[in-house]
Amino acid sequence: MTSSYLLFLLSERIFGVKLLGAIEILPWRRSRHVPLSYSYVEGLIDYRGTVYPIFNIGQRLGLSRPGPIGFTPEASDQADKKQSIILLEEKQVTFGIIVDSVVKMTKLEDPSLSPVKAQGLDAKYIRGMAYDDEQEIMILDFERLLHAG
Amino acid sequence: MDEATRFLILSLEGESYALPITRLLEIMASHDIQKDKTLTEIFEGKLEFRGKWIPVLNLKKVFKIQGKPGTALLIVRSDKGTMGLLVDAVTEILDTAQKPAPFPKGVINPSYRYYSGVLRQKDNLVLLLNEEGLLP
Repeated sequence: MTSSYLLFLLSERIFGVKLLGAIEILPWRRSRHVPLSYSYVEGLIDYRGTVYPIFNIGQRLGLSRPGPIGFTPEASDQADKKQSIILLEEKQVTFGIIVDSVVKMTKLEDPSLSPVKAQGLDAKYIRGMAYDDEQEIMILDFERLLHAG
Repeated sequence: MDEATRFLILSLEGESYALPITRLLEIMASHDIQKDKTLTEIFEGKLEFRGKWIPVLNLKKVFKIQGKPGTALLIVRSDKGTMGLLVDAVTEILDTAQKPAPFPKGVINPSYRYYSGVLRQKDNLVLLLNEEGLLP
């Protein structure tokens, strides 16, 4: 079966997310820091009347290191301002993820649920591999990604 | 349901937090706080308030925010008991008809019950504190 996917870059790798609901792409902006939140939570933003939690999925995937523990408002300021925020909706839950850049939206054959070997990142968050021409794309499993633990 | 609700806006190292004003008993300068070694690190000490000893929380310690303890002392009533809260300052009383947005899931360990929602104040997001969840 084919579905719509949004492809994006994160640490020079291409990832994909299946599009199930509404989507918005925003330039990077500072989010409201939440003390004692999970380390991969960048904070909260208000967009058109909705409060979105913003997840640093690169960190969650093990692609970048967590910042110092505790309250560091400057840490967000050091973020790469060229990054984008993708606002997604999955199963009526809205959230945002930080990506290096958005590649494109495209139709892809859904990945089979075979185990994936992904070098240098936490494979349990990858649902499977999809292919765009010859290009290998790792499709993210948000249910696992956004479930702490 | 549309009647205005009032929230106390307080600041900790430049970031804003809110408390329902109905929970506030008094605002005072921090003084007469007695050290109590039986209390954990998040407490600044205890204070005699209206003839009773109440614990005083250093809200920065609760949230692991660096900086000196705040100098404004809020006396807050919660279902778990009355407590003192040390904060940097009370910046505003927010009179608003807005209903706080629910606090998003997946942000914080669900066993931490520090926040009960999110409020908008001009262009800022303000974290609404759950006074019951502050005490251990």
